[in-house]
Amino acid sequence: MIDLSYFPLRILPRLKDHPAVRSLRRQPRIWRDTSDFTSIDYGDIILVDNRYFLVVGYMREGRFGIDEQPKQWVPKVNDLETGESNILKLVFHETYSIKFEDLKVTCYRNPEKEARVLDLVRGNPAFMQGYSVLDDADNLVRILDVVQGKRMDKYLQRLGETHEEYFRDHMVGVLKRFLVAVQAIAFLHSHGLKHGDIRRDHIFVDWDSGHFSWIDFDYDFYLPERPYAMDLFGLGNCLLYIVGRRNFRGQDVLEDPELGEKVYASLRMEDMSLLARDRVFNLKKVYPYIPERLNDILMHFAAGTSVIYDTVDEFHDELADCIASL
Amino acid sequence: MDDWQRFLIAMDKSETSRRAVRYVGNMACGLAEKHIHLLHVYPEPPPDFYIKGGQLDRYQMLKDERAGLFLQDAAIILEGMGISGRDISQRICMAEGKTISQMVLDIRREGGFGTVVTGKRGVSKAEEFLFGSISNALARHARDFTAWIVG
Repeated sequence: MIDLSYFPLRILPRLKDHPAVRSLRRQPRIWRDTSDFTSIDYGDIILVDNRYFLVVGYMREGRFGIDEQPKQWVPKVNDLETGESNILKLVFHETYSIKFEDLKVTCYRNPEKEARVLDLVRGNPAFMQGYSVLDDADNLVRILDVVQGKRMDKYLQRLGETHEEYFRDHMVGVLKRFLVAVQAIAFLHSHGLKHGDIRRDHIFVDWDSGHFSWIDFDYDFYLPERPYAMDLFGLGNCLLYIVGRRNFRGQDVLEDPELGEKVYASLRMEDMSLLARDRVFNLKKVYPYIPERLNDILMHFAAGTSVIYDTVDEFHDELADCIASL
Repeated sequence: MDDWQRFLIAMDKSETSRRAVRYVGNMACGLAEKHIHLLHVYPEPPPDFYIKGGQLDRYQMLKDERAGLFLQDAAIILEGMGISGRDISQRICMAEGKTISQMVLDIRREGGFGTVVTGKRGVSKAEEFLFGSISNALARHARDFTAWIVG
């Protein structure tokens, strides 16, 4: 028999009735120190900021094409007093390297940076919202609102039957919203902060208004002379996905019956990504109706570029001029 | 325009930096009035430095010690070319909250150096995109001064 009598009265009604607790065969544990997050389990309670958060699941994330793994340091929770659903991010100091051919960039999880971003963007709809507090062991726990929206890449798939239809009827509207999101990244940079993990699945499209919101700010890079290079690279990849509504590797071009050998044979090294050489950036070779000006922006991220963007502001301004001309 | 005979050499321990030092030595040795400032700027420690127990003063001490050796070496090269030690100065500093090239540009402005000199490593576009290029950054910002890029 589970004894809940030692919990405060204010959380008891929700605690008793919650399926996560009803299905438990043991006492729910209260965690005031989240250092050992791998031991925190479904049905446990994390107590921070005088709020009792019941763990009801875990966020999952996979790189594209890889099975999604549960992130034990990112539990989905319910506030047992208000009933609000939240996401907690616990401290996990992971370090790994990203390789681009023979170049290597070291990547870090940086909870302090994410906390600073959350402070800076409070009330700004272009960003996920939340705040951070210290647990009893001084771990910086981030308490996040659940973003009410859909991943941008999945959202784009529903716009138009064919690419041509998407391009004609929807792409300019998507680009206009993306431009606001780019401006939001420039705003972070102007305050000395970076997003750190700009990817097409880290933009959410709001269910109601359709505006774009950035999520997940805890990655950081050590690029002292080009601190925002990875953000710029990510924005280029997002633009590529928005314009193409998918990514093309050389093999994809070859296997596509509408493109095939003819288009594949026309691809040169300079048409591919500056950093990921298997990704086609010269989309005009795939979709000839893409305007030159828009394709030129993509080509600044291609291996053949002679000029790279120095700042997100430069990228933003060229994209804004281009959208105005479409 | 600042005094072009006040030279700022932004350098590291590379051979191209030593070439830049020799180049300035050759150009400056015949000048009656000149000053050569040897500068090394190093980056802040990586984000996980403190989590791993790193201490900033120790990091800075190590960087200062290492840079002190090659700056001293550069001063000896210049003196060997006939430049008086009175016309040579040195500075080692960390780029706090800014990039290395921004720090060099700030020191140039504050010191009124009319000529900034640096070596060129020769990097690919991909390397330049990710890691930057001090020489390209200096050349791009050379408006009120002259930039010499020594290959």
